[in-house]
Amino acid sequence: MGAKYRKYQSKSEIILRNIVVAAMIIYFTVFLIIPIIIAFAGSFHNWNPLSGTYDFLGLENYKDVFSSGLFGTSMINTIIFSVVVIIFRVGLGLGIACALNSVLVKHKTFFRAVYYMPVVTPMVAVAFVWKFMYNPQIGTINQIFGLDVNWLMNPKTALIAVMIMTIWKDFGYAVVMYIAGLYSLPSDVMEAAKIDGATSWQTFRYITLPLLKPMTLFVVITSIISYIQAYVQILIMTEGGPGTSTYLASYIIYDEAFVKYNFGYASALSFVLFVITAVLTWMSFRVSGDEEA
Amino acid sequence: MRKRFLALTMSALMAASTITGCSGGGDKAANKDVVAPTEPFGDTIVYDPSVEVNNGEDITIELWEWGSDDLFQQIIDVYTAMHPNVTINLVNNPWEDYWTKLPLALDGENGPALFNIHNSYHENIINYLAPLDIPIEDLEADFNGVSAHVIDDKMYYIDYGMMTGSVYYNKDMWEAAGLTEEDIPKTWDELIEVAKKLTIKDGDTIIQAGLNFNDDFHQNYLLGLNYQLGENLFKEDGKTPNVNSEVMQQIMQMLVDMYHEDGIGSENFGEKSSDSFGQGQSAMVIQWGHYYNTLKTTWTNIDFGVFEIPTFTEETPYAYNRYNGESTFGINKNASAEQQAVAQDFVKYFLASDEAQVAFNIAMSTFPAKKSLATNEEILANPSMAILADHIDRYIWPGPMPATVENSLKKAGQDVFYNGVEIKTALDNAQAQIIKDMKNSSFESVESLYTYASEK
Repeated sequence: MGAKYRKYQSKSEIILRNIVVAAMIIYFTVFLIIPIIIAFAGSFHNWNPLSGTYDFLGLENYKDVFSSGLFGTSMINTIIFSVVVIIFRVGLGLGIACALNSVLVKHKTFFRAVYYMPVVTPMVAVAFVWKFMYNPQIGTINQIFGLDVNWLMNPKTALIAVMIMTIWKDFGYAVVMYIAGLYSLPSDVMEAAKIDGATSWQTFRYITLPLLKPMTLFVVITSIISYIQAYVQILIMTEGGPGTSTYLASYIIYDEAFVKYNFGYASALSFVLFVITAVLTWMSFRVSGDEEA
Repeated sequence: MRKRFLALTMSALMAASTITGCSGGGDKAANKDVVAPTEPFGDTIVYDPSVEVNNGEDITIELWEWGSDDLFQQIIDVYTAMHPNVTINLVNNPWEDYWTKLPLALDGENGPALFNIHNSYHENIINYLAPLDIPIEDLEADFNGVSAHVIDDKMYYIDYGMMTGSVYYNKDMWEAAGLTEEDIPKTWDELIEVAKKLTIKDGDTIIQAGLNFNDDFHQNYLLGLNYQLGENLFKEDGKTPNVNSEVMQQIMQMLVDMYHEDGIGSENFGEKSSDSFGQGQSAMVIQWGHYYNTLKTTWTNIDFGVFEIPTFTEETPYAYNRYNGESTFGINKNASAEQQAVAQDFVKYFLASDEAQVAFNIAMSTFPAKKSLATNEEILANPSMAILADHIDRYIWPGPMPATVENSLKKAGQDVFYNGVEIKTALDNAQAQIIKDMKNSSFESVESLYTYASEK
């Protein structure tokens, strides 16, 4: 195949291609593959790069991971967090995208920008603002709704409060993705449905939704990967508390690596999480992607 | 309605700040109108400005720190006025990045020759430190708490100031409750009675807390009051924590009773005690010395006073509280020999200079470790330091504890107050967590070096 097409390429194109590919290989090797290898090796050690400690422990770190009650709790929290936020992200994203796609809605560009604004605002800044809004005495939420809830220090509401903030910040991404998906739907199919007398709901249920399946799969998979790595909102808003009730898996990794400087254990946690993420992504492809294939 | 308007306005302002971002950065403009000392100065450690540095040849070093640029620049200006051939570049790295960047920089060839230290990061930096070339006995002659820093007969840094917790009270609330200076409590029982008078409720809802310790169970209570009851934080071996003892349970129970029985505050009133006091919601808080400057600069509307932490009885306790030291500069052992020599000379100047010591202690609100400054007028003019002067020797330093000790006890407090966990279970969990986290730590408590250790 290479020889067949190579004769149509100019020499400068080949040089450019080789430079670009080489740059990408070097980039990924230096910033991805080598660090992953170092972290994998480190997961078998008592490792603190800041003090120079690097003692072989064998599988000790992995045993600690699987015997840790906190890791179990944090995985359950991570699953709850991810599932709820993804459902709302996809649901709100799809609903609002469809609304914005309607001929009845004017100023579409304005609304698209409004919904996307939280997505491009840094998570740290958003988390700080929401933390203030959740303040039990002077926070906006209690003041407006006349409530007396200590949102971030009540184990029943803390994770919910973080999830609400995350949904608010992130659903705009799904809106924009779904709008792009809706624009690319074939108009002849829609027109055919209209001629056949399909109602709006029937068109949405049997044509729009199935045709948007690749986009839904994309949003879900990128969301799974993103939310399994979520920790910034926890760091800012609850620090895992009260107690350890809002620990997410990635927050433990942060806590072990950058608070306790236990990089070996943090690396072991990272690899366990890596495997879990890979399995979940594969499952998502299997569940939703087979039909596409 | 007014509160709602305030909340909305504050939210809008905060939201706006996320869009506009933050700007800042200290003005590093050096004050060159400095009069350089020409005569030797100091107590046992004497600095002679007439002695040339680096044989009078030009040399440049870096000094890394994480804040208070003007303060550092002030002593750099004095030093470079004495030694014009020396250039010291001040480099500010924010605290969040400092402790990651610093060890990595020290591991290379171009790290800073001088750097600011916080002893909570002792384990990560000790391998990069060059020992001070000042005799330990000279340091001990001039400074308190020196012996706790000796490692294998070498000294890498000491404390220039001692910071601890004191009670800050709102004078306006104090007066409104009909209290006077005579009512300053000496014991915890007295403090609770005063706090009851300061607490204002609307039905069961607290409008003003008498005492607030939210988000602060660990710093000033669980990790300090044990000493008042004659118990160290670590067992005899200096490595095993002692945080689930009966004494610790007693302290936690006292905290629970303060909120749930005495009703002088609530875990749901005032998210963070330090902010709650600054916002005028709480009448008393126990905070460390740095809070004095926070109130002076951030919460300028609060008219406040300070008194020493109460004790369980009127008798002199084993120790009033834990303190932590503000550390002198570290010297990079990987810097060139010439740079290290300048760094050693700079540290000697810093230790010998009363002006530098007073300036740093006032800026940090720490009580001077330098013995000759215990009665210094400028120091005693600061109420947060003056109240410690009478028995500063009755404050104990456990050593540079790994962060897990504080963090685990903070979680224990949250478990008790917010998650409904039994006190003993919460403290047992903290004990187990600390033991697990310190499994590979080289930390060893220096409580046995406390002056009154034998009284325990």
